[in-house]
Amino acid sequence: MPRRMDVQQAAEDLRRRTLSEIPRSLDRLIYLASMRDYNTGLYYHDGLASRFTQEVACEALADCHREAFRDLVGSPLRGLVCQMEGYMDSTHTSPGEFLTAWKKLEPYRVAVPVETDPLSAEFLFSSFKIALAILEARLRPAPAAPDA
Amino acid sequence: MIQLILILAFGALCLSSLYFLARRTPRAEGGSGPLVEARQALQALRSGLLPPELIARIFARADLEYVLSEVPENVRPLFMEERKKIALSWVNQVRRQILLLRRFYLGSARSYARLSFRTEIALALDFAALLFACRALQVALYVRGPFAVPGMVETTAAVAARVCKVYEESLAFLSPAQLGALADRSAGAARL
Repeated sequence: MPRRMDVQQAAEDLRRRTLSEIPRSLDRLIYLASMRDYNTGLYYHDGLASRFTQEVACEALADCHREAFRDLVGSPLRGLVCQMEGYMDSTHTSPGEFLTAWKKLEPYRVAVPVETDPLSAEFLFSSFKIALAILEARLRPAPAAPDA
Repeated sequence: MIQLILILAFGALCLSSLYFLARRTPRAEGGSGPLVEARQALQALRSGLLPPELIARIFARADLEYVLSEVPENVRPLFMEERKKIALSWVNQVRRQILLLRRFYLGSARSYARLSFRTEIALALDFAALLFACRALQVALYVRGPFAVPGMVETTAAVAARVCKVYEESLAFLSPAQLGALADRSAGAARL
């Protein structure tokens, strides 16, 4: 079990060197989820592990992942829509393709930290669904109703 | 002859008592299962269901105002439906955890904690009020939607937090380390 102080130091190092370059919580959530091995649930980051230890790096990444999740859950819907729009632009795919893929695959479902309380996760998924619908409605406005 | 019948009846009574005693599960009064369950329910309420910031997000009027003023009209029904679903899920989960706590309170609390008569009465009243409030809130959310009854949501959350506090104080002797040991013992008993 790594010492708490080492983990805090490693998390601070990660925030300073890497996460400060990723301003949106959504991007941080996806980045940190990508550092996790889906077979073991353990996080890997070679740079951080070389400065600290593998166990400390894993705990620090998990801490930052939970932090990004909390930020996102606490974000108002307007903020979440902005973040999603920014993320969509940063992927350089066409908005139509992006929205279709996210609606079908719901990739955010595998991006939450383990041991997240179910209601918070359910709430975030629901907010993502609404945000996607808002972006889609802006992209493809509903046809105007014919005059009577 | 009558004596023999009496002795046989007494023997049968003893045997059946032994049989029922042996069949008692570890969850019965005095077992650690209900206590672990009660602590888990408390934990779920404290960290998962009652944090004010999560409740504020689920019932945020700012989100409703944003959707009503800046979002295309065809998205509004989805927003209302999703928030209603989450709000109902919240109140259902609070009610379920409160029922678990009440079960422990009715069945086993006296084995673990010396609750004063006053505390017992206060808890009983809080449980009754809370379960009624949850039911009323479920109906109100279902009929009027998630943004129509902020006062009821606030009251329900406040009473639930009070019940948790009284419970935690009553079971304060049980540290997380002891809880771990009890959970192990409970699992061991279940395996046997």
